[in-house]
Amino acid sequence: MIAQLFGYLRDHSIVLKWVFFAYLAFTLVFDFFAERHHAHFWGDSVIGFWTLFGIFGCLGMIVVFKGLSHVWLVKGEDYYDE
Amino acid sequence: MMSNTIFMHPATYFIIGAILLPFAKRIKLQKALLLIIPLLAFYQIHHLPASFGVCHFMGFELTFGRVDKLTNVFLHVFTLMALIGSIYGLHVKESGQHMAAFLYVAGSLGTTLAGDYLTLFIFWELMAFASVFLVWYRKRKRSIEAGYRYLLVHTAGGLILLGGIFLRYQNIHDLTFTRIAVDGATMADYLIMIGFMLNAAVPPIHAWLPDAYPEATVVGAVYMCAFTTKTAVYVLARGFPGFTALAILGAIMTVYGVAYAVIENDARRILAYHIVSQVGYMVCGVGIGTVMAVNGACAHAYAHILYKALLFMGVGSVLEMTGKSKLSELGGLYKYMPWSLAFTVIGGIAISGFPLTSGFISKSMIITAAGLDHRIFIMLMLSLAAVGTFLSVGLKLPYFIWFGKDSGVRAKESYWNMQLGMFIAAFMCIFLGVCPDFLYRMLPYPVTWHPYTSYHLSETFQLLGFTGLGFYLMVNYLKPAAKSNLDVDWFYRKGALVFMWVASKPIGKANDWIGEVYRTVGYRFTLAVSKAMSWFDWEGIDWVLDGSAKGVVRGGDGLRKLQSGKIQHYIGGAAVALCIVLIIIVLI
Repeated sequence: MIAQLFGYLRDHSIVLKWVFFAYLAFTLVFDFFAERHHAHFWGDSVIGFWTLFGIFGCLGMIVVFKGLSHVWLVKGEDYYDE
Repeated sequence: MMSNTIFMHPATYFIIGAILLPFAKRIKLQKALLLIIPLLAFYQIHHLPASFGVCHFMGFELTFGRVDKLTNVFLHVFTLMALIGSIYGLHVKESGQHMAAFLYVAGSLGTTLAGDYLTLFIFWELMAFASVFLVWYRKRKRSIEAGYRYLLVHTAGGLILLGGIFLRYQNIHDLTFTRIAVDGATMADYLIMIGFMLNAAVPPIHAWLPDAYPEATVVGAVYMCAFTTKTAVYVLARGFPGFTALAILGAIMTVYGVAYAVIENDARRILAYHIVSQVGYMVCGVGIGTVMAVNGACAHAYAHILYKALLFMGVGSVLEMTGKSKLSELGGLYKYMPWSLAFTVIGGIAISGFPLTSGFISKSMIITAAGLDHRIFIMLMLSLAAVGTFLSVGLKLPYFIWFGKDSGVRAKESYWNMQLGMFIAAFMCIFLGVCPDFLYRMLPYPVTWHPYTSYHLSETFQLLGFTGLGFYLMVNYLKPAAKSNLDVDWFYRKGALVFMWVASKPIGKANDWIGEVYRTVGYRFTLAVSKAMSWFDWEGIDWVLDGSAKGVVRGGDGLRKLQSGKIQHYIGGAAVALCIVLIIIVLI
């Protein structure tokens, strides 16, 4: 039963995509109304700061870490057995 | 110790349980015993006095039981985790694996309760020696090798710790395990701290963890992810709160672990690296050292044990049923193992700190404490690691195992006991998120902070939402490949090869040369000396002892004739000889 649910969701991924985008819009709107009593630093008073932090942090990490792996760290799975 | 004090100690139950397991298996009671022991211990930890099991040994005062709120929160989650692990491993028939797990738990509980460094050290080593069997029981060549490396690294760490303990005793003649003041810390204290840090997997002495955990058995990894590092967090929180070095190293850990979790391919190696990241939050919280930060470290340890074990259980189910744990070999399993998917996703969203899960109420405590302490850079690093957590463990891991491309792997859903273990852990993840006060009440200091504020919610919504967007955009770039990545274990794994080369080539050659010299020069000299000695033995001593040596030789000749070459005769003969010796000793 639960497998069918996952299958159903997978078949309707277009709908899920729009729900997801709607959620992203909602998070930005929500940030306008959040109470900012306890700002720890300047970023806490900027609306949408964590949006930018999230997206650039995520993309930046993928690019930097994948890049590091690609040019330096990556080895075959049997590297230590050779 | 009085016997009632021995039975007060929860570790006793696990040690007795470990001894009884092989016998219980014979009479088909192994499963019952596996459940009864953790339940008894879980009951027992709620009835501990503030201090027990104090005894004197060779001039040292050993304290086996020292109980306060800091101890209690760790004991609570350790025994709960032992129960979950036992349930998850019920289908495993080998008693040996369960025995290793029980002794490992006993070591962890003993360390947590230890009131002095000697007791702590004994249980600390028990943990290392018991847990290595959880790696070896996988019985693959790689596991055996990884187990030896694990043992060597932990032995080295144990020696550093022991060195620190000895130095400390020499300095202040006191082995009580209490908080160490930041200003008065000496070399001895730093050695102890390094010993603790090794078990907490603080880079650069962390590589044993992602090396060994992915090679452990399915059930073994579930235990290992819970106990070693979190016991280390406990001892750091007990002895070293407020050490800035820990705050900085902890923040580095969070990002370091996530970096490897993003690029690795083996699901259990991803999770192992991610332990480094998560324990980083706790080490950082201990290092910040404020009331809220130490509370946060303890809360995070509690929450983390449950969701990280849940993730290891989910991925372990896949490994148990398919024999595979590499993302590049998996995909499309949602049709076959949907419950494992559901539980793993709950673990994934809990570790990412979704609202209404345990990660939300624990992780944010440490991040807020960093902010309140004006450590903005550390706070941002912890937030960045939270982004990477959702990316690697919340999204990448379940996506490429259960969705992604169909790998053609077909499997049955895992056994009922595995699913029950996952269910309990998943339930706790949600329960703690919905009722944070259950956890907050157990913390060492009173909590006045509330996680569910609108700003904190907004921050989390945005961070997680836009991390999801990043994953959506880059999913093709994240596609796993059958590769692995270098880490600092390169130094000792490749270094060992250099050592072996030096040992076999230059040193071996020198050895041969010295041997040659010895044979030509030394051999003759030795012969001459031994000839002289034997003459002295034979003639000189015998002259003094009235012929007894010659008598022994004659007796030996007689004995030689008794030898038959059958092993049972030798054993029987040895037993008879032993009896005679005993009779003589008793009569004299």
